[in-house]
Amino acid sequence: MHQPLRKYIPATITQSYFQMRARNRLIESTDTDAINVSPLIDVVFILLIFFIVSATFVTLPGIEVNRPQAVTGKALEKNAVIFALSGDNEIKYAGSTVQLEEVPGLVEQASKDKGKPVVIQVDQWADASILAKIVALARKKSSDVSIATRKPRA
Amino acid sequence: MRRRLSPEPERTEINVSPLIDLVFILLIFFIVATSFVNEVGITPKHKDTASSSSNLEEPISFDLPSSGQLLQDGMVIGLEQVAPLVRSNSSDKPRSVLVRVSPGARAGLATQVMDQAMLAGAQAVKLSPLTP
Repeated sequence: MHQPLRKYIPATITQSYFQMRARNRLIESTDTDAINVSPLIDVVFILLIFFIVSATFVTLPGIEVNRPQAVTGKALEKNAVIFALSGDNEIKYAGSTVQLEEVPGLVEQASKDKGKPVVIQVDQWADASILAKIVALARKKSSDVSIATRKPRA
Repeated sequence: MRRRLSPEPERTEINVSPLIDLVFILLIFFIVATSFVNEVGITPKHKDTASSSSNLEEPISFDLPSSGQLLQDGMVIGLEQVAPLVRSNSSDKPRSVLVRVSPGARAGLATQVMDQAMLAGAQAVKLSPLTP
């Protein structure tokens, strides 16, 4: 098959063609058919760095409350000290019930002199006077105290 | 010529598999640990004592008794009247709002009153508990 072709192809091209074939064969024989994982590692590293940077480690109160509706609700700071006031008027912090007197200490402990904002997730059927007391106590330790509300309907 | 073409069969390569394993474990840990808390809420502006002393005007106060009603100056009002009341009272100068709550009042109502007052452009909104 190649014999008649060779007559018409210039010598330089045939030479390079055969050299290429020889080289390909050499590479194929040494290659161990492994998947190239370098792009995978690159992507995983980028994802890893993204999650490390975005991690804030917020301690959640551990209960879900029925938030009140509000129209002026704005997105709050993500890295906050979160308290919850349940419908049975229990103050929850990091999964356990705390007393009203413990609130300033917990805010101080959690914000570690960084002045973290405080978010209070309040149930709409909770006692407003307890909410007012928590707000007043939290404000002693943090300048930014917010009450979580439902997301306003767009 | 031959040596240059053929790569050495015993090439020393770093085994990256343990590295990938470790990176994957770290990645999964950070994915799980990341809590995307997207909290929406109101931040009642409050004034410190220094600035409030310059403002001698009485704050507009709303009372929330334990009966669950909303009172303003002794009169029962509806939630939708809060914003117009604050707006008409602070037409010349922004005024602060005081929400006085009695034990037994609903936190949802108190929050909504503060929300409406902020909507009307109240300068500061304060929530204060009333001792029975």
